[in-house]
Amino acid sequence: MFERRLYYHIDWLLIGAVLALCALGLAMIYSATGGPTNVYWTQTYAIGLGLIAMLACLSVDYRSLGDKSHLIYLAMILALVGVLFFGAVRGGSRRWIDLGPFNLQPSEFAKATVALVLAKMLGDSRRRGLTNNDLLFAGVLTAVPLLLIARQPDLGTAVTLLPILLGITFAAGLPVRYLGILAMVAVLAAPVAYQFGLQDYQRERIATFLDPEQDPRGAGYQQIQARITVGSGGVWGKGFMEGTQGQLRFLPVAHNDFIFSVLAEEQGFAGVIVALGLYLFVILRSIEAARLAKDRLGAYLVLGVLASFTFQVVYNITMSAGLVPVKGLTLPLMSYGGSSMIATLAGFGLILNVRMRRFTN
Amino acid sequence: MAIAEDRRRLATRLTWLRVAVMVVFGLLAGGFWFFQVVQHTKFQEMAENNHQRTLSLRAPRGVIYDRTGQVLVENRSAFNISIVREHTKDLDRTITLLAEVTGVEEARVRDVVDRHRREPAYRPIVVVQDATLAQVAAVTARRLDFELPDVVVQEVPTREYPGRDLAAHLIGYVGEASDQQLSDDSLATGAIVGQSGLERVYNRMLMGADGARRVVVNSVGREIRTIEELPPVEGRRVQLSLNHAMQRAAEDAFRAYGYWGAAVVLDPRTGDVLTLTSLPSYDPNAFATGIDRAAWAALNTDELRPLQNRAIQGRYSPGSTFKIAVAAAALEEGLVTPDHQIYCPGGATFYGRFFKCHLARGHGYVDMRHALEKSCNVYFYTLGNMLGVDRLHEYAERLGLAGKSGIDLPNEVESIVPSTEWKRRRTGEKWYAGETISVAIGQGQLSVTPMSMAVMMATVANGGTRVVPRLVTAIDEGKGEGWQPMPPPASPFPPMLMKPTTVSALHDGLWMAVNEAGTAGRARIAGRDVAGKTGTAQVISNQGKARAGASSRDLRDHGWFVFFAPKDNPEVAGVVFAEHSEHGYLAAPIAKHVMETYFAQRDGLPLPELKVPAPAGAAPVPAPAAAPVRVAANTAAFER
Repeated sequence: MFERRLYYHIDWLLIGAVLALCALGLAMIYSATGGPTNVYWTQTYAIGLGLIAMLACLSVDYRSLGDKSHLIYLAMILALVGVLFFGAVRGGSRRWIDLGPFNLQPSEFAKATVALVLAKMLGDSRRRGLTNNDLLFAGVLTAVPLLLIARQPDLGTAVTLLPILLGITFAAGLPVRYLGILAMVAVLAAPVAYQFGLQDYQRERIATFLDPEQDPRGAGYQQIQARITVGSGGVWGKGFMEGTQGQLRFLPVAHNDFIFSVLAEEQGFAGVIVALGLYLFVILRSIEAARLAKDRLGAYLVLGVLASFTFQVVYNITMSAGLVPVKGLTLPLMSYGGSSMIATLAGFGLILNVRMRRFTN
Repeated sequence: MAIAEDRRRLATRLTWLRVAVMVVFGLLAGGFWFFQVVQHTKFQEMAENNHQRTLSLRAPRGVIYDRTGQVLVENRSAFNISIVREHTKDLDRTITLLAEVTGVEEARVRDVVDRHRREPAYRPIVVVQDATLAQVAAVTARRLDFELPDVVVQEVPTREYPGRDLAAHLIGYVGEASDQQLSDDSLATGAIVGQSGLERVYNRMLMGADGARRVVVNSVGREIRTIEELPPVEGRRVQLSLNHAMQRAAEDAFRAYGYWGAAVVLDPRTGDVLTLTSLPSYDPNAFATGIDRAAWAALNTDELRPLQNRAIQGRYSPGSTFKIAVAAAALEEGLVTPDHQIYCPGGATFYGRFFKCHLARGHGYVDMRHALEKSCNVYFYTLGNMLGVDRLHEYAERLGLAGKSGIDLPNEVESIVPSTEWKRRRTGEKWYAGETISVAIGQGQLSVTPMSMAVMMATVANGGTRVVPRLVTAIDEGKGEGWQPMPPPASPFPPMLMKPTTVSALHDGLWMAVNEAGTAGRARIAGRDVAGKTGTAQVISNQGKARAGASSRDLRDHGWFVFFAPKDNPEVAGVVFAEHSEHGYLAAPIAKHVMETYFAQRDGLPLPELKVPAPAGAAPVPAPAAAPVRVAANTAAFER
């Protein structure tokens, strides 16, 4: 199964960059939580487990995974339904499956699964281009887990499924005019969605984003503090564990949603450039893997995994500078979160998988 | 074919994606560059404001001692409960909760907060000064529960007056600086400054310098660590000329005999103020922690005027005590010798009007000494007539009876001894020689403070040097050099140096008034050679008295007793003024008790106990000494 020569085609550079980001995130978690706390060790174990997951994901040929994608998809749907009924409730939403020593968040694994099933479906298509039926079917396959996750409710994670659909269909030849129509619909639908589709607290978040000063102590607080945190870092930063905003808890959930703000405060603009560079490298290198992929299935799978990763990275980093509304979206590879870490590393396992099997039959 | 085309399209689209990702990351880098490099200074400042606070550390004011080293004013630790609005999410909620926890009326808390609303949010607004331990405990518990993160409890040095109302007018009180004081003295808002008495005059010296502590606080306002600390500098220690035992003796005696009034005792050699009292008094401790409006209003509207320092702000007719000045003037001017005799038939006619002596059958032939002893009006009518009002005024001023004494206390009023010039300026009318006759026995338009009377007695006692009374004798700068004596203030008054014959005549006459057949026998102390003179100050003329009839105002005359002792080389000189005591000799025992205390302390004897003879046939005074005057206390007990 794992042929020896495959070893030589593993993309060690990509693995190196990914691990560098993990290490950077771990260091920031150490700093933000004030030392080797439970949070720090949990993250360390999660990275270890993630590497095992990565290994597992690259050892099985992605084509055989694609052949079983319908089963994997069904299992994922079952897990999501199960979590709605039996999941552990934390912070008002039902997202976790209690596995004793740790909790698993099935929605994190939905991303790779959706990428796999969409890649298989569109990659196997014999027809040229993308038919409307294909598009509709892909939409349904995405919508089912999306709605289930949104029911938890976890709108943030649910939304990350959309870039997967968009990324894969774009690669599969989605007519550019569709993108235009999509953009127009989004603009027109936004007010309606704002009025009817959102909860009160979500509306409040958006309102305060537009004018954080209207409630500087309440809902606008995080955003203002995020900007102060980033801005006060300067070029070289305040130094490891010397950041006042993160250390003194002016910035909420610093080790989680705002880990990048902590980096910006303590390591400054220099640290930000290094992290941005690493992420950019990881993304471009993965696009390269898609280009090199032996078949459409591989290329689409890479792009699907990459799309949700890129979306989350860009959104979280923008949020950490207080430039978009605060949303419970973590920064993949750096933020604290076991399920997210394992799922993300597993996703990179798939990307590596595709790349290293570009010469096999 | 189809595969190849498919690949090409995919490659193109991947290139688009690559470009798009690079653009997005470029924008992100640009955004961070803008925040972290371009606007860094602004955010840096915001971050520092976020987590650094400068807390003011109040300097303890200087401790004040009496001349024997007794502490008159010190400091104690008090707890202030304040709101720091910077961390407040809901000010209304905080106010309501704080009021409930501390048991203070909510309206009052709101009122205090409103008054300071304009101040920067990081500055604590003191809601409860001098909080009780129960209040501190209640607030601290709520703080730990994060219910009141914006409320702080600070330990501050607070003025403590262990003698309570003892010498209150002289020492004064402290309070929060007014807006006026803030702009004059460049103080920080909320600074505690002296508002009256010595606390005010020597405020700069006593105040010290507040310190500051820069601390790091976390997002709920809890202090994490101190960055730097500038310790406060305690105010300078000040030693007064005041004698605590004598001051106490004077105030005790006033209460024991049931009078309000004033007493001043000076050292005639230096001008040191040994005793300065004014009663009724108040407790300055009530001001130290911020007096409440009701108590302040009660003090202000009290008809007995407890806030007035009668010793330097009360002006009264001097009565017969003025005869001392008349005698000194006549002798110094050489108009009469001490042995000059005048016949007193019980009255005399001047300028067509008959002036009575207080003894209707007359004193017969009296010389200067006996005239002073018996307080013969006719003798002094005659001298006054010979001198004229302007010379009387001149000598009164030289002796220290007219004008201000120049004591280091605020708001002293001028004592008035009339002159032709004064009358013209005041009323535009000319002086009639007949008016001088009344002035010669201390009636008419004379109006003098007890302080000026004490200065006159010091001048008479020391033989003619008008001293400037002073309260501060030494200062400890706190630099380890110990007490640095304050040089006595240079006297702005030319020395008069009376003729020895004048001095001996005055001293003899006043000694006889106490020790022989005079009016002041109640001040006699065996072996101490007390010299003195009584006087009665009319509150209202006899005609007026008839007219006022049943008015509720107390119209009974005031009593004076002026004194020095011992007769030769006097060490103490002063005055006791007893309101509405009707007779000067009733003020004499108060002076006696003070002098006895002085001599006992000087000679290392046990201090005398106050023995008040129960007035015959009258109900005993309801133990006034046991009920010292409190702010807004019911003072009716002392109305006889």
